Amino acid sequence: MTFKNISIGLVPIGEIPNITCKSIAAHILGYYNLDADILPPLEEPAYAFDTRRLQYNAGLIITAIEDKEYDDYDKIVCVFDADLFVPIMSYVFGEARQGGRCALVSTYRLKRNVDGSSSPLSLRLERAGKVALHELGHLFDLHHCTDEQCIMHFSGGLQALDEARLNHCRYCSLYLRDALRKHHGAEDKAP
Amino acid sequence: MADKMNIMIVDDEEIIRVSFLQWFQKLGHLVDTAASGFEALEKLEDKPFEVMFVDIKMPGMDGIELLEKVKEEYPDVIVIIITAYGTIETAVNAMKMGAMDYLLKPFKPEQLSLVMEKIIQQQKFISQYEYVKGRLEEITRFENIIGQSPAMQEVFNMIPEVAESDASILITGETGTGKELVAKAVHAKSRRHHLPFIAINCGAIPDTLLESELFGYERGAFTGASHSRKGFLEVVSGGTLFLDEIGEISEKMQVDLLRVLEERKITRVGNREPIDLDFRLISATQKDLEKEVSADKYREDFFYRINVINIHVPPLRKRKEDIPLLVDHFLQKYSHETTKRVDHVTSDAIALLKDYQWPGNVRELENAIERAVVLSKSRTLRREDLAFVRPITSPERKPRSLHEVEKNHIEEILRECGWNVTMAAKVLDINRVTLHKMIKRYDLKRP
Repeated sequence: MTFKNISIGLVPIGEIPNITCKSIAAHILGYYNLDADILPPLEEPAYAFDTRRLQYNAGLIITAIEDKEYDDYDKIVCVFDADLFVPIMSYVFGEARQGGRCALVSTYRLKRNVDGSSSPLSLRLERAGKVALHELGHLFDLHHCTDEQCIMHFSGGLQALDEARLNHCRYCSLYLRDALRKHHGAEDKAP
Repeated sequence: MADKMNIMIVDDEEIIRVSFLQWFQKLGHLVDTAASGFEALEKLEDKPFEVMFVDIKMPGMDGIELLEKVKEEYPDVIVIIITAYGTIETAVNAMKMGAMDYLLKPFKPEQLSLVMEKIIQQQKFISQYEYVKGRLEEITRFENIIGQSPAMQEVFNMIPEVAESDASILITGETGTGKELVAKAVHAKSRRHHLPFIAINCGAIPDTLLESELFGYERGAFTGASHSRKGFLEVVSGGTLFLDEIGEISEKMQVDLLRVLEERKITRVGNREPIDLDFRLISATQKDLEKEVSADKYREDFFYRINVINIHVPPLRKRKEDIPLLVDHFLQKYSHETTKRVDHVTSDAIALLKDYQWPGNVRELENAIERAVVLSKSRTLRREDLAFVRPITSPERKPRSLHEVEKNHIEEILRECGWNVTMAAKVLDINRVTLHKMIKRYDLKRP
């Protein structure tokens, strides 16, 4: 089942390796059946930098990007190589508002393993893909899932993120299909 | 997907409230926020919340104070303390006061996950508890009679035993103790349960009318008898006849009923044709009929005929452990009837209800709860909502003279009866003239 009329824009913030963006786009196409276009990068958002925490406020970045004119795209996924936070938490891997238009993925904490060692590129890309799929799920109004292996399960740390599978559980798959159908009138082109 | 919970975030910083709100929305929960402890308490009165995240440091009412109030009035609400100023002492103090956990802002994402898992676990315990509580209610309820006290359990045990036989039952107990409910329970447990249960309050019907009500009459039996009418003894046909306030019937009626009970036959007024009867008699009285028999005020033969089995329903003051159960039951009943959601009672209010002696027993308690529910402006009944219930307080329990005790007692009864001397004299079981003399002697004045 494909939803060709739903378009995703992938926006790098700052200097993001092209391979990271391509890998995320491939994950979105592979697991959501949605095309994702890689768009020109944005400058680092100095306005969102918190000098006390030395991190970027994810909420402020999302608000700023939602105000930008990406009229050709239904949903925007931004990728940023900086440490993100939301006011109640010390860090987040990604952020999206429930049913919103813009999601944010941070690759900053995905480069190292739990023991502090450097993680291989393939694992980093898989992690970034998982975070992107999870946050995109929120944009399509999917909630956190109690199934620990579902991509919509909340991963508080790297270990949980690595343990999560790249699939949605059967309930989240159904909810996602319903959400995609509802979105844009659902032109179902199932074979 | 997890079950949806009603969560309230209480924090004076808007940015924190919004951040929590957005996070919990991703979990699919129903989230509300409050900027102060006062606002939180107002919202709690309007709708139920399962979980509250409460910031410790807030202007006005701080988180600890709010926690204290929430735990007092809504003990089932799970409270998680959040603080940026956390010290071990504050956290330990909060946990001692009933907070389930605490979080230091900003917290790691996995910490919030762990807390949420703990909450879900706790919710499971609560639902299991509710189930067990429901089962317990079934055990502590018997055909609409409520009580877990040993005295009531004894009554519950007796009902099915005596229900099997056809022997006459006399239910004794003070007014408002639920004698009719016991009679109905016996009927419901008996083989006659599918047949009528007819209750007659003998004290409320004049003797002459009671005769025709019970025995029926033929057309023309007396002036105004334009048609024949079956009496309740006939109508009950196979069922149970409940005669409340049996101690109030005249001696003539005692004789008539005694004959019915012995012969199981009646003749309608104005007719000599006997009619066969089949019914079970249950009577009730708040009087001490044995004493009345000894004083020759009641027929001994009739008394023994109606008192084959005796069930005594204890007064509420002797089973005060049943008060919380009864309050809970009446709250549910009147919340439903008045469509006002009043589902909590503070421990203070329960203590007040337990202090009171309840001369009108369960009926008086029911009326008190109904009145409190109608007048209540919040979901919780507080001590002040029950101010009209006057506990017999004993601030100075020093020895008092008989003279003083008598004076106080008379004054209290007069107050309860709204200074209606006739009614008070009846309660005190003394002559009205005597009461007037006592009022004068003790110099009692109407307020």
